[in-house]
Amino acid sequence: MTFIFGVFSAYLVTFYKFYGVNFFKYSLILSFAIPPYIYGYSMSAFFENFGIFYSLINFFFEIEDANKFLPKLSPLTSIIISLSLTLYGYVYLISRTSFSSQSANLIDLGRSMGFSNFKIFLKIIVPCARPAIFIGLSLVAMETLSDFGTVSYFGVSTFTTGIYNYWFIFDNLKMANFLSLILLFFVLILFAIENSMRKNSRFHSLKNDGRKQKIFLSGFKGFMAFLFCFGLLGISFILPFFQMIYWSLKFPEYYESLNILELNINTFLLIFCTASILILIALITNFGNRVLKNKFLGFISNLSISGYAIPGIIISVSIISFFSILSDMTEINFKNVFIGSIFGLVLGYFFRFYAISFNGIKSNYLKINYSIDESSYLMGFTRFKTFSEVHWPIMQKNIFFIFVLIALEIIKELPITLILRPFNFETFSTKAYNFASQDLIEAASIPSLFLILWTSIFILISLNYFFDNRK
Amino acid sequence: MRYLFFIFILFLNINLHANEINLFTTRHYESDIELYKKFEKSSGIKVNIVTGASKPLEKRILEEGDSCIGDLLFLADAGRLYSAQEKGLFKKTKSENLEKIIPSQFRSKYWFGITKRARIIYYNPDKTFSEEIENLTYESLADERFYNTIAIRQSNNVYNQSLIASIIENRGAEYTKKWLKKFVNNFSRQPQGNDRAQILSVAANESKFAIANTYYYALMLSGKKGKEQQLAAKKVMPFFPNQKGRGTHMNISGIGILKYSPNKDNAIKFIEFLLTPDAQKHIVSNSYEYPIIEGVKPSKLIQEMGLNFVQDDSTKVSSYGRWQKLAFKLMQEAGWN
Repeated sequence: MTFIFGVFSAYLVTFYKFYGVNFFKYSLILSFAIPPYIYGYSMSAFFENFGIFYSLINFFFEIEDANKFLPKLSPLTSIIISLSLTLYGYVYLISRTSFSSQSANLIDLGRSMGFSNFKIFLKIIVPCARPAIFIGLSLVAMETLSDFGTVSYFGVSTFTTGIYNYWFIFDNLKMANFLSLILLFFVLILFAIENSMRKNSRFHSLKNDGRKQKIFLSGFKGFMAFLFCFGLLGISFILPFFQMIYWSLKFPEYYESLNILELNINTFLLIFCTASILILIALITNFGNRVLKNKFLGFISNLSISGYAIPGIIISVSIISFFSILSDMTEINFKNVFIGSIFGLVLGYFFRFYAISFNGIKSNYLKINYSIDESSYLMGFTRFKTFSEVHWPIMQKNIFFIFVLIALEIIKELPITLILRPFNFETFSTKAYNFASQDLIEAASIPSLFLILWTSIFILISLNYFFDNRK
Repeated sequence: MRYLFFIFILFLNINLHANEINLFTTRHYESDIELYKKFEKSSGIKVNIVTGASKPLEKRILEEGDSCIGDLLFLADAGRLYSAQEKGLFKKTKSENLEKIIPSQFRSKYWFGITKRARIIYYNPDKTFSEEIENLTYESLADERFYNTIAIRQSNNVYNQSLIASIIENRGAEYTKKWLKKFVNNFSRQPQGNDRAQILSVAANESKFAIANTYYYALMLSGKKGKEQQLAAKKVMPFFPNQKGRGTHMNISGIGILKYSPNKDNAIKFIEFLLTPDAQKHIVSNSYEYPIIEGVKPSKLIQEMGLNFVQDDSTKVSSYGRWQKLAFKLMQEAGWN
C-alpha cells in the first residue's frame, strides 16, 4: 500500500500539471508529522460503533441504525492502514526525487513507440526508479518492524508483538531478546540489499536534460488526479488533524490538567541535547573515515547505524542491562547516572537515531570532492582547519536539515522515553500515551495536537531541503 | 557542555531531596495525580512519578537493584503484583492498621490492594429473555445455546488472563482447556478493541453479550466519552455472573514498597493515605472502581449498577498471577487471538 500511495502520488505531482499540484507537492510530506500510533488511535475512534463516523452518518442522513454502515475493519487491516498512511511519505519523497531526475529522452522514446501514458509509467518510469523506490520501501519496512505503539494498540500478533508476548506474558526476556536478535538479522539483510541497490542506482541515473515538460491534465483526468492527491492528504493528515481539533474543542476541560510549558521545555531539551551530540559524533566519525580511509573503521561505523531498526523498547532494556552489568563489574555506580535520567534518554535516542545523522552527513561528504581536501592540504591547512574552514561551511545548511530530521523522530518517539525517563518527566508523546491507555483518546488529542503542530512546523521550515537533499 | 553539567547537578539535587517518595505506577489516571497533590499538601512529602508499562518498569527496578531510588510500585492487576513479588521487587511490609482494613484475599505480605474492579457480562435487554440470563455464570457462556453471541477483547489482555486464571484456580486446568474451546467457539467476532468496544458491539446489535470491566461501562455512562457513547451505554445492561456460586470475578489495583526503598516510612504513610476514606472516595469517584475499604461508596454510576452482588471472595487474587501464563497458553491453543 505504501508502494501504491507513495509512487503514484509522486508520479502525478512530477509528471503532470493539474489544479493544486504545487500545493500537493509540498503538503503530501505532512503525513510524516503524525506518528503511526496516534493515527491508529484516532482511526479506531472514528470507525467504532457509535463513533464519529456514526455521528456523521446520523447527522447527514438521519439513519437510526447507522452502525450497520460502518466499515468493520479487522485489527490487521487497521494496522496496515495506519502504517501505510503515515509511512508512505518515505516512498513519496524518494521516488519523487528520482522521478524528477529522470531523462525526458526515455519518456519521449516510449511515446514514439506508441506507449500509452500508463504504459510509460509501468514500463519506463517505475523500472528506472526501482532502486530509489526500493530504498523508500526498505525504510518503511524497518519502521514497520520496529513499531510498538500501533501493533500493541491493535494487539495483532506480529513478530514484534511475539517479542512482547514472550516478555510481558511469559516473563521470558531471554527469548524476547533472542527474537529481537533475529529481527536485527532481518534488518541487516535489508540494509545489505539497500546498500547494493544504492551502488547500482548510480549506473541507472541518466542526466536530466532539463527539457522535460509537464503534461497538463484537464477535465475528468485532472479532476481524478486532484481527487487522488486530495484524498490521500485528506485521510493521511487532514482527517486525523481535524479530529484532534474537534476533540480538543469538545472536551476543553482536559486542557487544564496539562502543563504545556513544561512539556515543551522537556521535549526541546531532549531534542537539543540529542541532536547536538548525534551530529557532533556523526561529524567526527565521518571526518575520521574520510581522513583515515580505514576499511575496518568504515565497517564499524556502518554497523553502528543499524540501531534505527531495533525497537526502542529493546534498546532501552539493553541500556538498562548494560549499565547494571557495567556497574557490577567496575563497582562504580553508573546506574544512577544513566537509568532514569536525561543522559539515559539521550543515549537511547543516540542508538536509535544515529543512522539519520550518520547517513545524512555521509551523503554530504560524498558530494564534496576529494580534490577539495587535497587542495586545502596543499594550502597548508591542517586537518582540523580543513574541516572547520572548508567542510563545515559547505555542510552548514544541511546540518540544520539533519537537526530537523532528528527532532521529528524524537518528538514522535515513545518507548525509550517511557522506560528510561526520570521521575516527573513527561513529553507530548508520553502524555498522549497515558491518556490513550486510560481510554481517554479525547484527552490525548491535546498533547497529540501539540506534537503534530511541532512536527509540522519542523517540516514546513525545512521543506526545500526535503526536495534538494533526500537522494 | 556547561548546560549538561548544569542538568547533571540538577538531577543530583533531585536525588538528594529528602522529604519525598518516588512512585512507579502503571495507573494512568490524571485524578490519581490530583490525589497525590493532596497528599503533598497534607503531609509535606513530595510525590515524584514515573508512569509506564509494568514489565519494563519491573526490569528497570530489578536491574537498578540497590541503587534504585524508587519507593513504591503501583500496578493495575493482581497477576502483575504477583509477578513483581516473585521477582523479589517488594519488601515485606507489616502494618496492623492496613491488615485490619484490607480484606485478606486482596493483600499479601508484600503488597496491598487499593481498589477493586469487577469483570462482568453486559447484554441488550431488548434482545435477551430474562430466562436466558437467569443464573448465568462465566462457565455457562460456553453453552451451545450461546453460539455466535459473545464479544470479548484479545487474549493478550491481562484482565482476560486473570479471569481465565480464576477459572483454572477454581475448576482446574483440564476443565478450563475443554471449556475454552467451546467458549471461543461462541465468539461473535474476531476479538478486537478494548473493553469499551465490546460493550459498543452489544449496543450496536452485533453481539448479544460482552465481557468488560465495570469502570469502562461507567465511563461511557458518565458522558466523558461524548453523548453518543452515553446513549449507547444506556442500551446495554450490566449483569453480575456466578451469583449462586463463588461470586463475580474481582481484580485489584495494588501497591507495594520496593525492596531498596530509601524512604520507607514515607512510603507507608503514602499507602495509609491511599486507604483513608477521603482518598478512597476521590479515587473511585474518578476512576469508577470499587473502594477496597468498608464504608466508602463508589461513584453514583457504579452504585446504580447495583451493589448487592456477591463478589468472589473465596478466590485469592494472588492465584491469578500463578495461573496467568498457563491461562494465556490455553487461550492461544483454543484459537483466541
